[in-house]
Amino acid sequence: METGILELYVLGDISPEEKARVEEMASKYPEIRAEITAIEKGLEAYASENAVEPPAHLRDRVLNSLLTTFADDNKFPTREFLENDIDDEVDEPAGKVIALPAAKANSFYKYAFAACLVALIASLAAIYSLNARLNDSYGQIASLQQRNQSFANQVNYMQGEIDIFHDPAYKLVHLQGTPKSPASAMTVAWNPAKKKVMVDMQDMKLPANDQEHQYQLWAIVAGKPVSLGVFDAKADSTGMIPMDQVANAAAFAVTLEKRGGVQNPTMSQMMVIASI
Amino acid sequence: MSPKRKISLTEEELVQALRNREKIAADALYDMYSASLFGVISRIITDTAVAEDVLQETFIKIWNSFSGYSAEKGRLFTWMVNIARNLAIDKVRSKDFKNQSKNHELENNVTFIDEQRNTVYKPELLGVKDLVDKLKPEQKIILDLVYFKGYTHVEVAEELDVPLGTVKTRLRMAIMQLRRYFN
Repeated sequence: METGILELYVLGDISPEEKARVEEMASKYPEIRAEITAIEKGLEAYASENAVEPPAHLRDRVLNSLLTTFADDNKFPTREFLENDIDDEVDEPAGKVIALPAAKANSFYKYAFAACLVALIASLAAIYSLNARLNDSYGQIASLQQRNQSFANQVNYMQGEIDIFHDPAYKLVHLQGTPKSPASAMTVAWNPAKKKVMVDMQDMKLPANDQEHQYQLWAIVAGKPVSLGVFDAKADSTGMIPMDQVANAAAFAVTLEKRGGVQNPTMSQMMVIASI
Repeated sequence: MSPKRKISLTEEELVQALRNREKIAADALYDMYSASLFGVISRIITDTAVAEDVLQETFIKIWNSFSGYSAEKGRLFTWMVNIARNLAIDKVRSKDFKNQSKNHELENNVTFIDEQRNTVYKPELLGVKDLVDKLKPEQKIILDLVYFKGYTHVEVAEELDVPLGTVKTRLRMAIMQLRRYFN
C-alpha cells in the first residue's frame, strides 16, 4: 500500500476509490486497522491540545437545539421504548428500522392552533356585536339630541309666550263667537306700541278648516277692515303665531275665507269678533 | 471553567448511547468534544458569533446523522472533526459570509487564532504542548493547513509552493511524531 495513504485517509483527503480500498484492507488486516487507529489517536490528541473552550452559555443553547431537534423529528424515544429496545439493539446489526413512538409533542401545536382559531372567531364576534351596539348608541344619541333640541325650542317658544302674557304692553283681546258660530272663541295678543299681533293657537275654539278654506284675521281700522293674514285651525295646534302688524285697531274679527285669503271680508262668514 | 462536573464516557459507551438517542449522550458528546471541535472551527472562522453558530450546527448534524457513523471505519472523533471542518469551510465559502469584510484571509487564521485566544491546555496533555512545539515549523504548518483548515495536500503544495511529494512526507512525519508520543 502506498506510503502516507493511511494518513490521508484519516485526514479525509482521499478519493472515494482509494477510500473504499483502504476500508477493504482495514477489514481484512487487523494491523492496518491498528495503524489507522494510531494515526487517529495522534491527530485527536493534537486537536485536543489545540482545543478552544467555547463560551459557557453555548452549552445550553446547543443542547437545547438538540432536544428541539428530537421533538421536531419525533425521533426522541420515550423512556419505555428505550428500556425495551436497548437489549435488542445490542445484538442486531446497525441500520435496523426502528418503529418510531407516537408523537405527543406535536399535538400541543395543533391544540394551540385550534385555540388561536377559536380566540380569533370569538374576537370577530365580539367586534361585530360591539360595532352593532355602537351604531345603536349613535342612533340613540342622535335622537336624544333631536329631542333635546326640540325641547329647547319649545322652552324658548314658551318663554316667548310667557313674556307676552306678562308684558303689560300686550293687550289680550278675547274674541267671542258670532250667532253663526256661538261656541267659537279665540284670543289675540296685541301690542299697540310695537304693532305686534299674535294669535294664541292653544286657546283657540274654532271648527277645523278644510283644505280649500282658511281663517282670515281682520282689524277694523278707521271703520275699514284690514287683513292681518290667514291661519289654520287644527285640533292639536299649540303656541302663538305672529300676524301682520297693526297700530290702532278698533276691533278684531275672523272670517272663514277661501285658502290664501281675500281682499274684503265675507261678512256672512264671520266666526268671532271683539271690539277694543 | 464551568463549576458543573462534566460528563465523560468511554467512546464505546458514548457511541451506544448516541445510537439510542439518550439525552445523556448529548451532554457527554458536548462535554467531551466541544472544545476540540471549537478549536478546529475557530481556526477556520475568526468571527466568534459565526464560529459558535457553526459549532451548534455541527452538533445538530452529528446528532441527526449519527446513523451514518460506523465504528468499523474509524474513531468517532475522526468522523466528527470532518463534519465540523466541512461545515466551517462551507460557511466561509458561503455568499453572506464572504460579504463580511472583517474576515481574515484563510491563510492567516492559524497564527491569528493562537494570538487572539487562550487555547485550552488540559492537565493530562501538559506534556504534549512541549512535544508539539518540537514539531518542525515546516511540518506543523502543513499539518495545520490540512487538519485544521481542510486543505488538500495538492492545495498545500500550491499554496506553499513545495513539491507534492514533500508535502506528503512532511505530513507523514508530523503525524508520526504525534503517534510516537501517544502510542
